[in-house]
Amino acid sequence: MMKKKHTHTGAHSIDYFAYASGLNGWNAAFKTVFSMGSLILCITADHIFVSLFFILAMSVLIIIPGKLPVHDYLALLCIPVFFMLMSGITIAFDISLAARGDYCWKIGCFFFSVTHASLWYALSLTLRALGAVSAMYLLTLTTPACEIVSVLRRLHLPKIFIELMYLIYRFIFILLDAHGRMREAAASRLGFRDFRTSCRSFGGIAGNLLICSMRRARVYYDAMLSRCYDGDMRFLEPKKTVRSRHILLAGAVWLAALLIWLAGKGG
Amino acid sequence: MTRKKIVGLSVAFALLFGTVPAAGAMHIMEGYLPGGMCLLWGAVCLPFLIYGLFVLKKTLAHDRRSITLIAMAGAFIFVISSLKIPSVTASCSHMTGTGLGAILFGPSAVSVLGIIVLIFQAILLAHGGLTSLGANTFSMAIAGPFVSFAIFKACQKLKINKMVAVFLAASLGDLFTYCVTAVQLAVAHPSPDGGIGLAAAKFLGVFAPTQVPLAVVEGILTVVIMIALESYARPELKAIGFEREAA
Repeated sequence: MMKKKHTHTGAHSIDYFAYASGLNGWNAAFKTVFSMGSLILCITADHIFVSLFFILAMSVLIIIPGKLPVHDYLALLCIPVFFMLMSGITIAFDISLAARGDYCWKIGCFFFSVTHASLWYALSLTLRALGAVSAMYLLTLTTPACEIVSVLRRLHLPKIFIELMYLIYRFIFILLDAHGRMREAAASRLGFRDFRTSCRSFGGIAGNLLICSMRRARVYYDAMLSRCYDGDMRFLEPKKTVRSRHILLAGAVWLAALLIWLAGKGG
Repeated sequence: MTRKKIVGLSVAFALLFGTVPAAGAMHIMEGYLPGGMCLLWGAVCLPFLIYGLFVLKKTLAHDRRSITLIAMAGAFIFVISSLKIPSVTASCSHMTGTGLGAILFGPSAVSVLGIIVLIFQAILLAHGGLTSLGANTFSMAIAGPFVSFAIFKACQKLKINKMVAVFLAASLGDLFTYCVTAVQLAVAHPSPDGGIGLAAAKFLGVFAPTQVPLAVVEGILTVVIMIALESYARPELKAIGFEREAA
């Protein structure tokens, strides 16, 4: 299943974590509402303590009842770290032709300045984003993607849209598999020896992948037709009931966040 | 240098670059935009998506079989955009793949496929987010592909070599996506002194060292892919309507 143990960036790993999660048994629609509600609350509150609270609460939920190894969770949190660092630095620093700000460095004929306010803004923004990411992780790390799509189906999004989502989700893994084999074949023939060869191999693989996928697409349509496909795809979904303790938990988390927000506003 | 030092250095190197998995496609992160901006960009995308859905519906009414082809195209864009590409620097980067998609499948189909791909990127790869979906859709699935497509068509009208046209379309589309993203970030987080203009300049400058070489590499790779397709997959290109328009 997980051939290389410490690769966390592939689409395989998050999908794997979602199926293996201890929270997989919870109702998907409930988890979507809980996670999206927390996400919206975290963004609208835009308060540093509320953000910290959500980072903490969501991480605890994902790690303890969700049974995700801490190491894996931290690796997943690192995915947006590049964007966060670059944008955080950009927001904190200001460039001008004259010296200003609380701290100032002169490089060339420009002044790079930082104020306490801009530092605080960048910090609170980063924490808000981390809070939002952990709220989203509560959904994506505990709920298989096809269940999320079925929640979207119940929201009455256009039928073509949902159907495409179901098909694309399945095709993604087929193509990733095919791509992995082609890449291995190219690598074993020194196809990634240097930059020039890598570009050639990459292009060849991608082109070949498109050809294979187009040819397969026809076969898949025939396979679907032979199983009575008439423009509507319905899948058997395991019944997952919402328990009152789940609702109590969600209510408690939201209430705590609201209280922290109000207390922070007052203080 | 002792062996210990070498190991230590290599670990530091690996940590520095190993923890930067998504240096490429510049997705705006979850929670980085204030609520109003999320809604605004979502609303901007809506007409394009509805138009795209109508086009898809028409295609499907014409030929029901193309549903798997269109879905495959979406999966293909996802896979292309999730692959590490050969990069000059040590950090790994990703293609956007939408330029190629726009050239092959047309910009209106790519806008619908693009938002699905972005949803799956958020769900399966944690690139981008659900609240920033509108902004990311606008920059990656609408603005970039439309520019790519327009450049490709203009080059064909001007009878410029096809591969040059593909290169220009893919790389300039990529650059445009990056500019749009920088402006989106600047509008959401203007600089206290210089306003939106200065903030946009700052974001453009900070991301330029990764994004500009990436756009060139994306252009080169798209050309290589197109050469592979032209030499082996004429019938497939006809099936998705590329050859018919191009010929």
